[in-house]
Amino acid sequence: MRDVLNTSRRTVLKGGGALVAMGLGLHRAARAQEPRTTSAHQKQLYEAAKKEGELTWYTAHSDDVTAQALGRDFEAAFPGIKANVVRTTAQVAFQRVSQEIKAGAMQVDVLSSTDIGHYVYLKDKKLLEPYVPENASKVLDIYKGYDPDGYYHVTSAGLIGMGYNTEKLKAEEAPRNWTDLLDPKWKDKIAIGHPGFSGYVGTWAVTLRKLYGWEFFEKLAKNNPQVGRSINDTVTMLNAGERIVAATAPNGTLSQSAQKGNPLKMIFPPDGAVLIIAPSGIMKGTKHPNAARLFMEYLLTPEASKIWIGHFNESMRPEVAPPPGVTSAKDVKTIRPSVEEIATGIPEVIKQWRETFGV
Amino acid sequence: MTTLALRGIEKRFGDFVAVKELDLELRSGEFVSLLGPSGCGKTTTLRMIAGFIDPTAGVIEMDGKVISSPAGSVPPERRQMSMIFQSYAVWPNMTVEQNVAFGLKLRKLPAEEIRCRVREMLDVVQMSHLAARYPAELSGGQQQRVALARALVIKPAVLLLDEPLSNLDANLREEMRFEIRRLHDEFRITTVYVTHDQAEAMVTSDRIAVMNAGRIEQVDAPHTLYTRPRTRFVAGFIGRTNFIDGVCNGSDIVFDRFAVPRGLIENGEALSGKVTFSVRPQSLTLVRNEAALSGRPSVAVTIAERAYLGEFWTYVVVPKEGSLRLRVTAPPLEVYEVGESAWLEIDPRQMAAIS
Amino acid sequence: MTPVADVLAQPAARSLVRRLRFIEPSMILWLAMIAVLVFLIASPLVRLVVSSLQEPETGRLTLDNYRQAYGSLRHLQALLNSLELGVGVALLAGLFGVPIAWAVSRTDMPAKGLVRLMVLGAFITPPYLAAVGWILLAGPNAGWINKLWIAATGASQGIVNIYSMPGLILVVAITSFPYVFVFTNAALDLVSSEMEDAAHILGAGKWRTMFRVTLPLVLPAILGGLIISFLEAIALFGAPALIALPGRFQVVATQLWQFFEFPVRVEIAAAYAMPLLLITVALFWLQNRLLGRKGYASVGGKGGERRLIALGPWRWVMLGYAGFVCLLAVVLPMTVLLQAAFAKAWGRGFSLDNLTLRNFRYLLFEQTQAQQTIVNTFVYGGATAFAAIALALAIAYVVSRRLVPWTNVLTFLCMAPFVIPGIVLAIGFYAAYAPPPLALYGTGTIVVLAFVTRFLPIAYTSSAAGMRSISPEMEEAVRILGGGRLLAIRKVLAPLLKKNLAGAWILVFIPATRELSSAIFLVGPQTRVISVMLFDLSEEGNFEVLSALGVILLVVTVAIAAVGFRVIGRDFMLRRSA
Repeated sequence: MRDVLNTSRRTVLKGGGALVAMGLGLHRAARAQEPRTTSAHQKQLYEAAKKEGELTWYTAHSDDVTAQALGRDFEAAFPGIKANVVRTTAQVAFQRVSQEIKAGAMQVDVLSSTDIGHYVYLKDKKLLEPYVPENASKVLDIYKGYDPDGYYHVTSAGLIGMGYNTEKLKAEEAPRNWTDLLDPKWKDKIAIGHPGFSGYVGTWAVTLRKLYGWEFFEKLAKNNPQVGRSINDTVTMLNAGERIVAATAPNGTLSQSAQKGNPLKMIFPPDGAVLIIAPSGIMKGTKHPNAARLFMEYLLTPEASKIWIGHFNESMRPEVAPPPGVTSAKDVKTIRPSVEEIATGIPEVIKQWRETFGV
Repeated sequence: MTTLALRGIEKRFGDFVAVKELDLELRSGEFVSLLGPSGCGKTTTLRMIAGFIDPTAGVIEMDGKVISSPAGSVPPERRQMSMIFQSYAVWPNMTVEQNVAFGLKLRKLPAEEIRCRVREMLDVVQMSHLAARYPAELSGGQQQRVALARALVIKPAVLLLDEPLSNLDANLREEMRFEIRRLHDEFRITTVYVTHDQAEAMVTSDRIAVMNAGRIEQVDAPHTLYTRPRTRFVAGFIGRTNFIDGVCNGSDIVFDRFAVPRGLIENGEALSGKVTFSVRPQSLTLVRNEAALSGRPSVAVTIAERAYLGEFWTYVVVPKEGSLRLRVTAPPLEVYEVGESAWLEIDPRQMAAIS
Repeated sequence: MTPVADVLAQPAARSLVRRLRFIEPSMILWLAMIAVLVFLIASPLVRLVVSSLQEPETGRLTLDNYRQAYGSLRHLQALLNSLELGVGVALLAGLFGVPIAWAVSRTDMPAKGLVRLMVLGAFITPPYLAAVGWILLAGPNAGWINKLWIAATGASQGIVNIYSMPGLILVVAITSFPYVFVFTNAALDLVSSEMEDAAHILGAGKWRTMFRVTLPLVLPAILGGLIISFLEAIALFGAPALIALPGRFQVVATQLWQFFEFPVRVEIAAAYAMPLLLITVALFWLQNRLLGRKGYASVGGKGGERRLIALGPWRWVMLGYAGFVCLLAVVLPMTVLLQAAFAKAWGRGFSLDNLTLRNFRYLLFEQTQAQQTIVNTFVYGGATAFAAIALALAIAYVVSRRLVPWTNVLTFLCMAPFVIPGIVLAIGFYAAYAPPPLALYGTGTIVVLAFVTRFLPIAYTSSAAGMRSISPEMEEAVRILGGGRLLAIRKVLAPLLKKNLAGAWILVFIPATRELSSAIFLVGPQTRVISVMLFDLSEEGNFEVLSALGVILLVVTVAIAAVGFRVIGRDFMLRRSA
């Protein structure tokens, strides 16, 4: 039955897809171009990966738009390999990974979580496949050698600051530092993500707990912030005018949105914007090991970094510089907790959060 | 041709015994009716013959081979039988022609032969002109003919009919009785016919099995059944009758205020003690004066009630100084007033001792 | 040896052989179908109960899962919240559904066709889409209603906040009041005017008659509808996930979801699901008792003449009320959903320069998963409908022909999923079939199996009703002429049930295409369905793309419902007896 379903689904998929494509006058075939010039190693991987045909990538590294752009670019770079890009928050991605582990049916090939604790756990349980991409030596120094054993590698980084809606708030009235969020004048005006979903928000919460203690969150809760799930939700809330200030604003998504003409602005607090360094790793038991390795290589290519900076995230490669006028990690004060602090801290703050915020 | 035998058949539904210790044999080409009131087990018996239900005891044999037993049964589709249902069960999603051809197609006959036989059969039941119609466009009688054609066209080994006429109006019902008998005379298929209507059974059947409370009370030709009922139930169920009690006394059997010599009654010599007789109203004759009596056993009576039914009179008479009430029928011109005296003549040949 | 003696003098072993020889070949099929039924329904349920009582690692018997599930105030609070939600929804759904059903069935209110169509619209709107629509309408600051209010009154704050318990109750009630409507309407259609005339003759006025005679007559039906609404509400996952979280409260379904966060604690989730199961079973028992008392509910069959009550000017009031409910349930949320689906930014409003097809283009061509997800949804929906009907038909057949003993157990099994909340079912399925030996996780099969189980009661109800409507003699006529059971089903039963089955197909297909609760734990990346993708996309609050995906779902669903209307005749969806 499984086979029948799959076959029929694929057939229908092809037929349906072709129909829709014709209907809108688009031709995917136009994308099928020659593969990009790569190293001999990557060519070898590509040949092997073509036989596997596809790979599945769970990512929490960015919003859906950026993630899909990376997936499409990978498909363009390596024709014949389909990228299944599933963008969720870090904890939801990991929830699904855990379900797959428990069921003994690994669906994901490459996991890109934003909660470092996930990798610590997976490595410890021997659920990661070690692989050191040849591109790993070509990234910026701060991203090199994150895991000395080569089980996971930094493939993206981003900044969390605050943000506000410039139509509803003048620049001088906007909060400057994290602690300004506790001012009662922001009651019912703050949007925030949820550490139980977002790895970005979890890391942020661990950092701010370290800076100000948990009282910070207890006071913040009194201002009745609107709790979303993804950190990107705060940007949507500002755009919609539902809330005025984002307590957790991802630089990438917010700046992208501002570039499109939305009335948004980032705030980089003097106590430090939280720098998130997010790795990716290959799951043990992957059904597409070569495609997964090729994808790891791809995430560290200059082309991928160009897409990252195009969407206001950090570049991995020294040769890809952010365009002028775009704030990146080297321009502002950043803070980040250690791997251990994150690994033990996030489960703790999730618990505390639930008690304090009730959800 | 096919013989059918039911031996010691019993069917229980939980605690309820629907059919018990039933024995019945059909000769090849014989038409036998199962006649009885509703709930007597006749339809259950028919459905056991068809193979829709298994007996809980006993066996059913067709041509000497066991087809039903408590251990398992040949399913209906492998019995080479046909059945006509109370609801006709003409399939509404098929035309008349398709309905009739269905059984032949199952037998994988060549298309030409199927067409031929369907046409012939539709001619026989006078439905040829409606061959392309759907059942919803037919009257009840026409549907009945389709059901007949569908059942007969396959030349079944045994034909079963389950109250096939009960949904038709009175005139049509009468017509179809003769139609069924005509078709039987034409095809001579061994047939079991279930009905609660005695007239239907008498018109159509070679023999009638009268059933009551899960048992067969009597199996006989219609005429015998009427004139020589063996049980009170049969006598009462087939036609109207008078039950009179008599006592054997020497060479006579003595009734209320009259006696009949044993010798005049069939098997009269074998009787002893108290005996009940079934006496049909038609076997009694009213005579106005003693002089006109024919010499049969007779008794002086008084007219107690009367009713005129058009074709005949029904009188209730009581022997003088007696208490027995007897029902008598008389032709329309023999008019008596209530309270009038008359003589009642009895035809001993039509008296049936019952058990 | 004569054949009789042959049979009667069988040694035991040979009699078994003979027995087998007599068995119809189709019996194997029936037994297989019964096995499938047990496999689908009994096994996940048993698995659920067992795992709630087991230590996950050792498999030892323990009550620890229950201690953990109920050992926290927050978890208990979520239970209470669910009860509040259920009661609120049932009451509001009654308030919406009963008057409209009465007006449509018994009065001369105008525009009945339109009202029915709107109720149908509410019926096919998935609750999570209604939730998205209402977030756009009643977000505390940015919702359309609040913006208009602030613009009109100059107030500093909006008046409605969807992120609250009343907000959630409203959203769930507008999607579940059609149940109350359908139940009540069907019962009212059976009440003859003579009942009301009798009251009039004794001097009761119109309104008094309605409250003292008509409504009490259909009370059991109303209660049935309310119970379904209640159960829908407490089992729902999507709408609470969108609304309760920002509203800072939990309900059972969202709490259950949390138990699936890392580390996955299926056993605690199973323990926590038990009250949901018990409440449901208890309510259905209650409903059965209520509906079982005849003479009261089933309103005298043919029921004589029916005349409509002339309301006079009041009919416009009734129409106004029906219009108001339809506005809340369909018109408003659909309008804003459509606006958002075709908007660059929904907050910018209804202007031409805000119009774009970008959201659709993104979904259909830039997103790597949406195409497959959309196809998955309808393929699974279709496969579910076919499989559920095949199974239901087979079981209904076995039951109606009493081919096996214990047929009422089969009926019970077929109807049991109706009382299992989708999310609980998903947990059971995950526990039973995701791990080896079956290892179905991530396959389309497990999704379809779960959907088949979930919607089996709908398919079974339709099939059984159809089966009852056809005299067994139709089939016996085939068999006595030499056709087997399967042939009879193919040539006679199936053609005669065509309309029934097509109606059932659509009744299963529509909810299957929008099912979220039972899909959420079972889909893998290759087997995602629209509802789950919507849920994932909603994390980022990207309402434009979300709405576009919702519009795609609704358009295809409505198209299929419309085809159903044409083929099977109007009203088939509203004429369901659950």
